[in-house]
Amino acid sequence: MPVVGKSFALSLGAAAAGLWALGAFAQKAPATGPFTEIQVAAGRVAYIANCAGCHEENLAGSGDQPPLAGPGFMIAWGKRSTKDLYEDIRASMPYGKAGSLDAATYQNIVAFILTANGAQAGAQEFGSDTNVSIGAIANGQVPAEIAHPVRRAVAAADDGAGPAMPRAMRLGLTLAGHIKNYVPVTNDMLVHPDPNDWLIYRGNYQAWSFSPLGQINDANVRQLQLKWSWAMNEGGENATGPTVHNGIMFLANTSNTVQALDAKTGSLLWENRLGPPAVRAYSALRSLAVFEDKVYINATDAQLYALDARTGKVLWKTHIADSAKGFNETGGVIVAHGKVIVGLTLCRGQEPHCFISAYDADTGKLDWKFTTIALKGTPGGDTWNDIPDDMRAGGETWIAGTYDPDLNTTYWGVAQAKPWMRASRRTGSAATLYANSTLALDADTGNLKWFYSHAPGESFDLDEVFERVLIDHGDQKTLMTVGKAGILWKLDRVTGRFLDARQTVFQNVFSGFDMKKGEPIYRPDIVAQKTDTWISACPSAAGGHDWPPTSYDQPNDLMIIPLGQSCNLMLGHDIAQHTGAVNAAGLERVFFMPGTDGNMGRLAAYRTATMQPVWSFQQRAPFLTGVLSTGGNLACVGDYDRVFRCVQATSGKTLWTTRLPTVVQGNPISFSVDGKQYIAITTGLGGGSPIGKPSSMLSDIHNPDHGQALYVFGLPDPD
Amino acid sequence: MALVKYCGRGAAIFVFAASVASVDLAVAADQKFDTRLTAVAFDGAMRASVQGDGHAAAILSGKRLLVTGDFMELPSDATSAHIFVGLGIGIPGDRIFDLTVSGARGGTISGSFVLNSKQLTALRSGHFYVQISSQKAPDGNLWGWLMPEHPIAAPDEPLPGQGFLPQLDVPGNWTQK
Repeated sequence: MPVVGKSFALSLGAAAAGLWALGAFAQKAPATGPFTEIQVAAGRVAYIANCAGCHEENLAGSGDQPPLAGPGFMIAWGKRSTKDLYEDIRASMPYGKAGSLDAATYQNIVAFILTANGAQAGAQEFGSDTNVSIGAIANGQVPAEIAHPVRRAVAAADDGAGPAMPRAMRLGLTLAGHIKNYVPVTNDMLVHPDPNDWLIYRGNYQAWSFSPLGQINDANVRQLQLKWSWAMNEGGENATGPTVHNGIMFLANTSNTVQALDAKTGSLLWENRLGPPAVRAYSALRSLAVFEDKVYINATDAQLYALDARTGKVLWKTHIADSAKGFNETGGVIVAHGKVIVGLTLCRGQEPHCFISAYDADTGKLDWKFTTIALKGTPGGDTWNDIPDDMRAGGETWIAGTYDPDLNTTYWGVAQAKPWMRASRRTGSAATLYANSTLALDADTGNLKWFYSHAPGESFDLDEVFERVLIDHGDQKTLMTVGKAGILWKLDRVTGRFLDARQTVFQNVFSGFDMKKGEPIYRPDIVAQKTDTWISACPSAAGGHDWPPTSYDQPNDLMIIPLGQSCNLMLGHDIAQHTGAVNAAGLERVFFMPGTDGNMGRLAAYRTATMQPVWSFQQRAPFLTGVLSTGGNLACVGDYDRVFRCVQATSGKTLWTTRLPTVVQGNPISFSVDGKQYIAITTGLGGGSPIGKPSSMLSDIHNPDHGQALYVFGLPDPD
Repeated sequence: MALVKYCGRGAAIFVFAASVASVDLAVAADQKFDTRLTAVAFDGAMRASVQGDGHAAAILSGKRLLVTGDFMELPSDATSAHIFVGLGIGIPGDRIFDLTVSGARGGTISGSFVLNSKQLTALRSGHFYVQISSQKAPDGNLWGWLMPEHPIAAPDEPLPGQGFLPQLDVPGNWTQK
């Protein structure tokens, strides 16, 4: 056994109980690699600028972003070549901006990654054709200065080196507001929103994403024209949707910047750059909330803020979780019954496990927490095949919940368990609660009223985390949701009882469905899966449905669903038993979905009372916005090919389109000021699979790697 | 001989030449299948080697299957093409028939085979797929699962109902208790 560095010895000790076969790579003394010290130094700078935001500065990986150094990297790459690594990075990175760097920069980054895995620089330059086995030159031993880097100030990246890291920005209240006509938002307003407002991130507590306004309608939408626009911060993931109250728009910009704008003119009223600047291409700020005289936002560094709605000043700030441990907020926030309720993401098995938490809206004091991972000795704790608590990872809540004021119940979806594949998790067919479940929680106490496990023992990063839409059918109170597998679920939201399910997109993960139990039946080879073996799954991790939310067109009883069509092969690793260091531990290879003719986008409408499909269409580009439906018989949605369109809600026929500067990504809304209706949408970049998959698969669609902005449309003014 | 035309990036409309229907295999009981040929499952390292586009069509007449197709814009010359059968739609499996390839980075494929009962069931269940290999992608460059002919729901022509969902519209892929 060779002598290993102190830091590696520590991780090796932790890994000893696991299955990582050190012998294959680590017992070799590293050979001189085909790259130079100069390339390593340049590669480190380029890595920090373009990669560290997701993969971390120490290359340990984060969330779904795999480790690029150490055992996890060597398992994935030790048997492959340096050319494969170079080609892979060049073709797919930086995430969402694949191929945007020059060849030399990619080569330097590869040189740095090899160094981070113990390879030694030599005299030969790394080039695009350099092709040696990674296992022959690297051993996965991470040099101490890389494993434990001195945390750099974000501002240090202000060298123009790359688009993924932000330029230095002045933080704080950059423009103090003096909004005199602000009207405090009451509980009653939240329960019964003014149709002229867009008061809650999905329009109402029920997450309908529906505006009753009908001034813009299927007869005149072709006249729609741009009224004003607003450039947003570059960097980070932009997948937001504004909130509008009484003519004032509150915008959750990237880099945790909150802005108040005149919703009619687009004039800035106040701005508070809370920070930190966006360091992940993979962390959106999807929404904010307004209640009484405050604006609430859960920043990406897991801090909850209350700002003065009139001035933008911070009134209080509460610590949700420790971002230094990787915890993160992306899903936005909901205010219910005087409490600010938020989720949590990037939970790797360490304490605390993922949780939903509620805070007093006045003071920010913690009211309750609900842990979304069932631990040993707690209800549901026996659904993890007895693996240790610190290996129970995932269970994130990255989409804000919904709320039924009559039942005083808040509904949340929970994401998948990690690692992705059950063979890697060693959980067999166990349900791994509360992963991929719907939770019904008492809004006052956080007590669990009921839960429903949609995909027990899920295996392919097919989250069931997305919006829970609350719809009443006569006296029956239902909850409807659709997850990455593309199954549209209908539950009784009072009891959690299964009512119905309908497939909305091609999927082959489940070969059947037990309608009595309300449970999908897995394909036999998925049940029998082993690690280190490729297994096919449709949809891919980009989801049949992903974060772009559905809309419930209430007058027509239509749920209009943006759907994605791609598949993948997935390979799960045996993982080291690191405490609190669990990640996705899987590899993906993507392909177009059979039977779709190469179309990645699908929009479909279902009658919710009967679950019957009404219409559908496909297109090459996937949809990357939620759907907005309106009282004007319209449904508006944007896509990866820069098209923002409105279709007739009842037929799906496209009535109006416009082409925006870059990917249309976010959540469209509609509101009215001074009797005039507007429709707003953002362009946005960054993000996970929904934008990452098309960027690698659709070589015929090219988008600028910048151009995040807000656009507001309306009908022509009368002469 | 089936000709293919892709119109625009969205709709991907295919047009069969009349000659397809004119061959003597085309009788009332014939079943038609088709697929667009797209890149095999790939990661970033493979991406540059598995580009291209194509189309394949098949006519089943009795137990005889006639397969034709074309491909274009491969990154390297085509070397072979085969019919594979998997456990389900979208699930890679085993090679069962060789197709004849003509051309290089673009060209045609063809073949005619007699299927046994197990293969007939697999074909009708959508478990057959066509795969073309090339010099830079010897383990597969393009592939596509042969589906029964179905309407395409394009943006300008939304279809009533759910459109084509293979697991529901192709028999043998779904059980519901």
